Amino acid sequence: MKRRQLLQGLGSFAGLQLLGPNLGASTLNAVNQSNSDSPILVVLEMSGGNDGLNTIVPFADDDYYRLRPQIGIAKDKLLQLDDHFGFNPGLRGLQRLWQQGDLAVVHGCGYEKPSYSHFNSMAYWHTAAPNRGDEFGWMGRVADQLAPSRREEMLINVGTSQSLAVKSRLHTPLVFDDPNRFQRNGWMNNAPDIQAEKADETSANQAFLLAVSESAKSSSSRIRQAWNDYTPGADYGVVPMDLPKVAACISAGLPTQLYHVAVRNNAFDTHVAQPALHQRLLSYVSDAVHGFVSDMQRIGQGHRVVVMLYSEFGRRPMENANLGTDHGSSNIMLLAGAPVEAGHFGEVPSLVGLQDGDNVQYTTDFRQVYASVIEDWLGVKADTVLKGNFARLGLFG
Amino acid sequence: MNGAVILPGFLVLAALVSPIAQADAPLDLNPIEAAQWNTSHAAHLASRAGFGATVDELSVLAAMRPTAAVNVFVDGAHKSQNDDNPSQLSENFQHSGVFDEGLDPFPASRPATTMLAKKQGHALGVEVKAGGNRPLQPVVNKFFYWLRASRLETDRVAYWWANRMLASKYPLEEKAALFWHGHFASNEDKVRDYRKMLKQLQLFQSAGLGDFRQLLIGVAQDPAMLVFLDAGVNTKDSPNENFAREIMELFTMGVGEYGEEDVREAARSFTGWSVRGLDFYVDTQNHDEGNKRFLGEVGNFDGVQIIDRILAQDITSEFLASKLYRYFVRDELSSEGAVQLGQLLRDKQLNVGEFLRALFMSKDFYQSQGAHIKSPVELVISTYKKMGFNQVPGVPDFNVVTGALGQRLMRPPTVAGWSQGRSWITPSLLFERGNFVLDVMFPDIGFIPPDRFPPFVREVAKVQSRLREGMSVSAATRPTAMLEGNQMGGEMAQSNALADRDEAFNTRLGSMRGWQMALERVKPINRDPARVDLVAEVVAAQLTTPEQIVSYYQNKFFSVNLPASVQQGLAKFLVDELGTNDIFAARSYLEEPLRKLLHQMLSRPEYQLG
Repeated sequence: MKRRQLLQGLGSFAGLQLLGPNLGASTLNAVNQSNSDSPILVVLEMSGGNDGLNTIVPFADDDYYRLRPQIGIAKDKLLQLDDHFGFNPGLRGLQRLWQQGDLAVVHGCGYEKPSYSHFNSMAYWHTAAPNRGDEFGWMGRVADQLAPSRREEMLINVGTSQSLAVKSRLHTPLVFDDPNRFQRNGWMNNAPDIQAEKADETSANQAFLLAVSESAKSSSSRIRQAWNDYTPGADYGVVPMDLPKVAACISAGLPTQLYHVAVRNNAFDTHVAQPALHQRLLSYVSDAVHGFVSDMQRIGQGHRVVVMLYSEFGRRPMENANLGTDHGSSNIMLLAGAPVEAGHFGEVPSLVGLQDGDNVQYTTDFRQVYASVIEDWLGVKADTVLKGNFARLGLFG
Repeated sequence: MNGAVILPGFLVLAALVSPIAQADAPLDLNPIEAAQWNTSHAAHLASRAGFGATVDELSVLAAMRPTAAVNVFVDGAHKSQNDDNPSQLSENFQHSGVFDEGLDPFPASRPATTMLAKKQGHALGVEVKAGGNRPLQPVVNKFFYWLRASRLETDRVAYWWANRMLASKYPLEEKAALFWHGHFASNEDKVRDYRKMLKQLQLFQSAGLGDFRQLLIGVAQDPAMLVFLDAGVNTKDSPNENFAREIMELFTMGVGEYGEEDVREAARSFTGWSVRGLDFYVDTQNHDEGNKRFLGEVGNFDGVQIIDRILAQDITSEFLASKLYRYFVRDELSSEGAVQLGQLLRDKQLNVGEFLRALFMSKDFYQSQGAHIKSPVELVISTYKKMGFNQVPGVPDFNVVTGALGQRLMRPPTVAGWSQGRSWITPSLLFERGNFVLDVMFPDIGFIPPDRFPPFVREVAKVQSRLREGMSVSAATRPTAMLEGNQMGGEMAQSNALADRDEAFNTRLGSMRGWQMALERVKPINRDPARVDLVAEVVAAQLTTPEQIVSYYQNKFFSVNLPASVQQGLAKFLVDELGTNDIFAARSYLEEPLRKLLHQMLSRPEYQLG
């Protein structure tokens, strides 16, 4: 059920209060205690620079086919979206979400003076600080606002290494890859650690290691339990993008509200022979997201969970001679889940009048999307987290 | 203070992933005085310039003058001993013989392979069948065969390299190669040819301590790198920017030191640089002979001239020297320190070995003990080295262990290589580090060699077992989810529902046959487990109390001191396990308690520091 429908049903200010934390500044303090109905954000990074133009395809724009004579996808190959756009043929899962009214497409997301470096642009997106950077990630800063004193399991990052996005001043993000391996094997599994009586003076790295060790010990059994208790209730496809692990944590009732997962190894960096590869990668992502959203509905958590998909940049609108595309700037972002207001957001960027080396001019600062999920979904003051004021987009009705 | 850092270019990233740079203070690069040299300095040198040292090796190093000890690492022990064989395991990599000429050039994908076969009647050295069922099947089988065989053979290359790290008399050569493998990162997943990966590794081993210009040109003309960064398709009419961008951003200058126009113009200079088999060549027809404007100058630059322009920039030496410093010394580096190090590298004419010689002599270097978080490969090799192993055990599997810890050789995650320092550590990876020690101390009796039974391809194994049950190919290769009925309810995922509809071949059958053919040809990895005898060592070192044993392990394995209360707790643990504190009386059953003690100690957070 959409939030706006909930609101219409309740129709009173008291109702708004009852609905708790997600409704803007007036109830911001309520979220400091998480509860079984607190909102959850799952962020999925399509690393490598997903080609947004071949993801949500503007078939009605002749310039699209002019710029992409070979890798442009013909209208009859696309999956139906509306009279201007079609889905890449690999996006059957996202198309289903669209048809259910559970998908928002935000156009033209980017930032001023774009970086064409994967690693810098990722750092900008992770910190929400283009061309500047920040010591902490934007999700980490959200967590610092949600819980002003240190708590375990504030942030979960499934992956082999920690994303900068979840780095927090107060909290140690829980990072794991395979829940079954998140334990001490053998006799040490149940053995108590030998603790120092008083903390010696330690180097910064030593203090860091001790903090991570504490976090690991306190959380690993809960994560494994969650994973063992969980059976996927939907088809997540061939490459489930770690989303079943997130589903297990939610299903187990962990208090975590912030999750980060990523497509591994910069897979979306499609400079050469893009079309078949790109469609396959998109089908993995789309199947996984559709499976996850369906699974959340099945366990009665659909109303609490929003998935946000992003990439560090889009690709250049003009194809290269190797049936691929090079690093670009502005791109689409996607939000999926029952609470999402379905539809198009942001101005669709023009494919003529390209700038800065044949790139599409961005129309939506990506931090507007962040601000929307931070404030309108998670109920945290966005300008505190983002250190600036960004117009929100009404992504949640 | 809000912790924000405002730094130009690539430094933003470095600062974001590593602790904030210390207040600007110059590095003390003056040489250490001979009178100060001791065992702890020797151990530090061995752990950073190599992969650690045994107790015996340390006493030899500690007795030398510091200059001589540093020279042993920078020049190799073989130089001082007039031995032409730098590595004890001097033998070259033993190829299994999986390659044949038909495999070169290898098409980009399975669809590209079958299209080629349909068009020309053969592909990968295999003819399309004259008739019968699935005429393209042998071609598809061969395609999958090579993917599997190259992958498995690459794991053997990684084992070969790991053994060199462990046993070489010239460990800095291998340590530097590991640095370059992370700096000039290529991944076999994309290169799809173990021979190119091996050739690249040999370049890092042979040229990694020499002139950086030669190394950089070598890398720019290296087949694995050219394939990895799509340079092979970089032509005059369509310059591909991937290689030109990364050579500046990641290999030499760092982001923010050049413009987008420089990327495009440099790409033009590299047009026509290509690979034929294992050889670099310039396809002159596809090379752009026009003028290029690069870093403020105009000329008909070719690729080597572009490299020389890049090397002439001060920022290049600063960028490279800083990265070497972070790898060999510590994460933190002030901007003033970076300038100093850049100057040092230029003073040494960009000679990496000479730069490291000065660094390893410096007082600053010896102030960095315990400041470094060991990378997974460092952790594993140095643990083996300190335990006195002379070969890398087959159980646990070296590649599986280092992969689980986040650093599988020949498979760096992206072109940026591995992030170092704290990014090696997550809550679950800290447990994995302890589990690695468990697997060495108590080898898994259920171990299945991953190069004999690839555990990551369950679906392939299912196809095989269904074929063996006598099912038809069409039935056996149907997706399992489809065969067993979609038990989950809801809609089936698109990627699972895609059945193979091409009658000319069956992809799943090809995948299964590819594994069979590869397993038949790729030589198995030696699976000897580690031979550990902790009791013998305790007896030889004449350790008679639990406290002495804990202290012995502390000195042998750790770079930082465990708190006294922890050492006492560990000694008590050993007493509880033994039922006595009389080590001599317990000597007949001492081995397992010692292994548990060592497992416990090496699982500690402090052991991750080097």
